[in-house]
Amino acid sequence: MATHALEVRSLTKVIGKKKLVDDVSFSVEKGEIFGLLGPNGAGKTTIIRMIVSLIKRTDGAVIINGTNLDEQYKDAMSEMGAIVENPEFYKYMSGYKNLKHYANMALKEVSDERIKEVVKLVKLEDVMHKKVKTYSLGMRQRLGVAQALLHNPSLLILDEPTNGLDPQGIREFRDYLHTLAGQGMSVLVSSHLLSEMQLMCNRFAILEKGKLIHIASMNETSEIDEAKEVVFEVDNSQEAVDVVKEQIEVSSIKVISDQQFSVHINRAGIGTINRLLISNEIDVFGINRVEATLEDRFFEITNQGVKEEVK
Amino acid sequence: MISLIRNELMKMFQKKSSWIYLIIILIAVIAGGIISNAVAGEPDEDWKATMKAEVEELQKSADEASEGEKQYIQEQIQQKQQYLDKDVNPDAQSNWHFMNEVVYGVTILVTLLSVIVASASVSSEFADGTIKQLLIRPHQRWAILLSKYISILIYALVLLLTMIVSGYLVGLIAFGNGDFSAKIFEMAMDGQKEAAVGPQFFLKMAYYLPSLLIITAIAFMLSTLFKSQALAVGIGIFVLFVSSTLGGLMVFLAEKYEWAKFVIFPHLDLTVYALQDKILGDVTLPFSLMILTIYYAIFMILTFVFFQKRDISI
Repeated sequence: MATHALEVRSLTKVIGKKKLVDDVSFSVEKGEIFGLLGPNGAGKTTIIRMIVSLIKRTDGAVIINGTNLDEQYKDAMSEMGAIVENPEFYKYMSGYKNLKHYANMALKEVSDERIKEVVKLVKLEDVMHKKVKTYSLGMRQRLGVAQALLHNPSLLILDEPTNGLDPQGIREFRDYLHTLAGQGMSVLVSSHLLSEMQLMCNRFAILEKGKLIHIASMNETSEIDEAKEVVFEVDNSQEAVDVVKEQIEVSSIKVISDQQFSVHINRAGIGTINRLLISNEIDVFGINRVEATLEDRFFEITNQGVKEEVK
Repeated sequence: MISLIRNELMKMFQKKSSWIYLIIILIAVIAGGIISNAVAGEPDEDWKATMKAEVEELQKSADEASEGEKQYIQEQIQQKQQYLDKDVNPDAQSNWHFMNEVVYGVTILVTLLSVIVASASVSSEFADGTIKQLLIRPHQRWAILLSKYISILIYALVLLLTMIVSGYLVGLIAFGNGDFSAKIFEMAMDGQKEAAVGPQFFLKMAYYLPSLLIITAIAFMLSTLFKSQALAVGIGIFVLFVSSTLGGLMVFLAEKYEWAKFVIFPHLDLTVYALQDKILGDVTLPFSLMILTIYYAIFMILTFVFFQKRDISI
């Protein structure tokens, strides 16, 4: 059996009588970006903090690259780099000193060359020797990435990494994660920003009230031959709708505006309608498939969860 | 472990406050030197004659005084006679006299500043949120905590050494080099105790070290218990000041109740043993040391067990 980059087995956290995390299991493969998705209070942060040993587990095991955290603590911890919420630094020290501080704590020696390499990677060369209190939030976030990567971990753990970043920063951060994953790094990332996760992850787990209710891969959400809502842009939408209704049987077709109508149809159907319109001398300016977003899917799944509970 | 301690010391000395505290010690010692130099005035060459005259003066007034006053005057005469008999100049000045009388007083500042640094040590990591980056490293929690504790001890020793070295130098400049083993009398509860000035100073320092160790241990424990740096430092200083008051209170309680001897406060200041052999009636130095050791062990165990188990959720 191939080892997973991270394997979490029946992770549980109980405080008092409250189950914050309830029997959560999942695994992250090598080179994969795996998301933990859920509303605030669903237990994402608690799960991440249990994996990085900031919070004690009530029950369950964490295995990193085949190393059990309970058996070989140091080796397992050495395999991961993490940013837990906003990365905080010693503000009275320079960025370089901060990195040096964490480099000193690594099991394997981190050379000055490596520190410089990482600093270059996150584009902080110019401010490396300035005190961290002068850094912008974006710069601190990049310094956070630098400290997580210093010791060449095989697993990167990020808790709400885009919190407080501007759109530009978020985009840079995302591109950066994809580059790292491309190089074979595995990433576990949590967020409540659904659209953000959709762009970032290969697979994701949906959490609600401490329970894992669904694991899905991004491909699943965009199955090619599934019937989807398609918007046609034409010169006269009412006439076009009449023509389509007359010729083929479609379930939900409606006029959106003078020049747009939408129809629920699969891939093959799009071609059929297009040919039909053209042969009836209706100009087609554009055809757009409306992708079901992760958000729709998320609500679909969480609503199911609620219904099951009611039953 | 050594790299962890080096890290903690780096953080400590990157903070401006750590340097300011050292400067405060220097300023206190220098100010002490200037003030005692100004107060001292010209040394009396013929102090024996002056003192003899004083004794005769007292003798005369004793003849006329009432019974109650007579006893008090007799005691004074006795004290002064001792200086004459043993050939000890009560107004003698040298760097060692300065060390024993003035510089020794600066230890209260060393304690205070050590308490401030110790109680900020862990709580500041919580307050700044840096604790979560610190504890996700491949090191056991207790090792990280221990490195912090050792770095605090090192800093406290640096403060103490700064005090001693600067005290010696300031004394040397202000009063010149004196006899290390010059005889002095120290006022104690049971009369005057004869001692050599230099050894007496270092004896006090030796007795001061256990106090410093245990007070910083209390501050360090508070530092791990509280997430707020201000709260930890505030309570640390409060305990420091209240302890001497409570220590005094225990002296009275000890006359009536046996348990008062097992309370930590009267044992915190061991320097009294430099002046007298027993406190609280019949308590001796080994007993005090034993009490302190027990408390120290309890504080340390509480600190480390609590920190090891704690959930970091800030």
